[in-house]
Amino acid sequence: MATEVETAIPTAGTNAEGAQPTNGDDLIAEFAVENADHYVRQFHKIGATQSYAFTFNPWAALLGPLWTGARSLWGVFWLFALAEMLAIVQLGRGLWGELGAEQLERAAKLTARAEERQAAAVQAIKDAATNAEALQKSAETLAKAAANAMANAEVALAQGPRLIVIGLVLLVLVKLAEGMIADWALERRFSQWRADRTLRAGLSHAGFIGAGILMLAMYPMTIYRFTVANPPEMLTTFPADRDLRIAVSEWLDKGFDLITVNGEAVFDSITFGVRVLLDALETILVGTPWPVVMAVIVVLAWRLAGPRVAVFTVAALAYLAFLGFWEKSMSTVALLGAAAFICIAIGIPVGIWCAKNKTAFTIVRPILDFMQTMPAFVYLIPVIAFFGTGKPPGILATLVFGMPPVIRLTVLGMRGVPASVREAAMAFGANKRYLLFKVDLPLAMPSIMTGINQTILMCLSMVVIASLIGAKGLGEDVLEALQYAAEGQGMLAGFAILFCAMILDRIVQGRGGSASN
Amino acid sequence: MQNGFMGGKTIDNPVIELRNVWKVFGDRASEALAAIRSEGIGKAEVFERFDCVVGVADANFEVRQGEIFCVMGLSGSGKSTLVRHINRLLEPTAGEILINGTDVMAKGEEELRLLRANQIGMVFQNIALLPHRTVRDNVALPLEVQGMSKMERWDVAERSLAIVELTGWEDKFAHELSGGMQQRVGLARALAADPDILLMDEPFSALDPLIRRQLQDQFMDLSARLKKTTVFITHDLDEAIRIGDRIAIMKDGVIVQIGTPETIVTQPADDYVADFVAGISRLKLVFAHSIMGSIDAYKSKGGNSLDTAPRVTEDTDLDNLIDVAVETDGPIIVTDSGNVDIGIITKADLLHGIQGGKG
Repeated sequence: MATEVETAIPTAGTNAEGAQPTNGDDLIAEFAVENADHYVRQFHKIGATQSYAFTFNPWAALLGPLWTGARSLWGVFWLFALAEMLAIVQLGRGLWGELGAEQLERAAKLTARAEERQAAAVQAIKDAATNAEALQKSAETLAKAAANAMANAEVALAQGPRLIVIGLVLLVLVKLAEGMIADWALERRFSQWRADRTLRAGLSHAGFIGAGILMLAMYPMTIYRFTVANPPEMLTTFPADRDLRIAVSEWLDKGFDLITVNGEAVFDSITFGVRVLLDALETILVGTPWPVVMAVIVVLAWRLAGPRVAVFTVAALAYLAFLGFWEKSMSTVALLGAAAFICIAIGIPVGIWCAKNKTAFTIVRPILDFMQTMPAFVYLIPVIAFFGTGKPPGILATLVFGMPPVIRLTVLGMRGVPASVREAAMAFGANKRYLLFKVDLPLAMPSIMTGINQTILMCLSMVVIASLIGAKGLGEDVLEALQYAAEGQGMLAGFAILFCAMILDRIVQGRGGSASN
Repeated sequence: MQNGFMGGKTIDNPVIELRNVWKVFGDRASEALAAIRSEGIGKAEVFERFDCVVGVADANFEVRQGEIFCVMGLSGSGKSTLVRHINRLLEPTAGEILINGTDVMAKGEEELRLLRANQIGMVFQNIALLPHRTVRDNVALPLEVQGMSKMERWDVAERSLAIVELTGWEDKFAHELSGGMQQRVGLARALAADPDILLMDEPFSALDPLIRRQLQDQFMDLSARLKKTTVFITHDLDEAIRIGDRIAIMKDGVIVQIGTPETIVTQPADDYVADFVAGISRLKLVFAHSIMGSIDAYKSKGGNSLDTAPRVTEDTDLDNLIDVAVETDGPIIVTDSGNVDIGIITKADLLHGIQGGKG
């Protein structure tokens, strides 16, 4: 019976206070090293409550950031240090701050000028000059301003004691808070340490000294900056070298020039390829009589996405046609179609490659981030430099923004193919080609379709920006409306772009997409 | 290696042979293996020094024509790793693997592909059907890989589905079927190419007990008809004993014991196996020949006359022996297949045999 009780204690003892020393207590002692009794008691208290339990660590309150350094709680160190600095800066300003110095200086200047003006006025009265009255008025205004500045300075000076009190109160509050937070922070650290014993336990001299050095570096400099009326410029602005930026950007300019001159053949052939694709699409969409194109689009929508989408498509097409956007919409869709086609044709193979090859993805991923976050206007410049203006460069600029989603989602989809299904196919003798086309791609298809959908929408959102470099279409209408502040025109063109996007999206998503919506 | 009692089956040439197969996972596998061989270091040290994990350690066994060979072990014991070496889904770090006498390790990519497609069928614990294909197309997968035409492979797939009694479900998708039915599809797929060898990786583990029992029965029935050489992985000793002609017990990557269910139960190789078999009912597993004593010893002790003693054959199980013993007061004589007396079972022998203490 006795042994049963003893074995039952460790489970009960971990959260009940006053239990005999258990394995957990030994661990706390091993972790705390110094002042172990305090921590055993406090950690039990923290463990026993669901909400906040009051604990106070006098050492942490007294030493503040130094204590966190010694306990290797660096996250808390910055919190404590910043809070303390806030309080100390107030104190410093109250004690040594040249409060109202600026105002005093101004008052002195104004007074001097007022006296000067007064003297001039007196002279003018003597000479019975016509501007005497004006000078007199001006002198009075200046004197008033000087008095104002003086009053402000006095007010600022009077703030001194108040700042000292605020600083002191803040400091005490910060210290109290430090004492109250400390055990909680250390308890969390203890939980982490239990799982990962490589974390530092006990007190660290190096941490203590490191915290001290950091504080010595930060505190005086900050206090100085806030107490001195005119801090040296070195402290307020980063000593940047303007020439460096100029030199680097000049160097980049030269690089671009070099590429433009030497890569002309490559750029021209790319432009030519894109133009061929675009011309083909434009011939189909713009050249074909509108009733045929409309009928084909509606039938496509019906067959691929169901009757509801077909009805929507009819309405959207009617909007485009009746408001006279038909031709522009079709050339926009051709532009977008060419861009999306290239995105997909390059993006899916790249995505597959990245899914299979970890190194490839670690290289490609930052490039994708770059492509998506870099503002479009930035890469419009090199696009113009390399490819000139017009529709093909517009498509190329669109690619930069449109390609990442399809790559990312292809990778995601390919990685989501269950290893067990691939293994099963392999166990039955599937070769690599079979695995890719009959197992991986079909299973990754929902994700890839989402990627294609995203890519189309991204491409469409670039239409307006591409029109900046001469890609005509609906984007141009929006751009014009912006230039002439024509709200109505802008709204109509904007909706036309939206409807183009929605028709394309619904048709591409097909039945699956419309069912899930 | 133990040579098991073959449970009355004909002994042919081994279909699958594994010789000294090692699998060490990790970047420095070969270094680690060299250290294991030269210094005899343990699992923990291998992990510490080389950051490698030993999956299979020095596995040796052979599986004969038509035999069901069970590999039993707890999760993490390396049994699934072991079975994946037979069709080289995993490459061994060292050792030889022979199928019908030819070295699997020597095969090139295309040869290996053909071996997998024609000779080995595999069933998986998580079934692993292709969700975008119908049942028929899933079953036809091994045939499709071989390049069979659509009509032909559909015919074969339908026949295979008929074997597992799933006719009428061909055009459903996998997710429309229950777990038990899905695993029958998995079995039909493994049988579709009519392979000689079946690898079953815990096929019934994820199913509920009733369905599991039904599928075990169906599988044993099939197995008796089709005579496939089978390696059957399980973590359930009851299942191993029910299904297996022989059982290999694995622990920490090592095959601890190989033997018939009876040998495993009556002569466990170590405490680990003994612990395992402790809860197993011996009535249908232990036979007269393993608990009998010698007739001479009985006579020399001056036991009762044996004239009226009942006779049983040596392969009578304990369950039947109890029935015989209830009818008589004296001992029971055990005869071999030639009707020659070879031993004797007293009441005490029988009771000890049931108890399992005698071993």
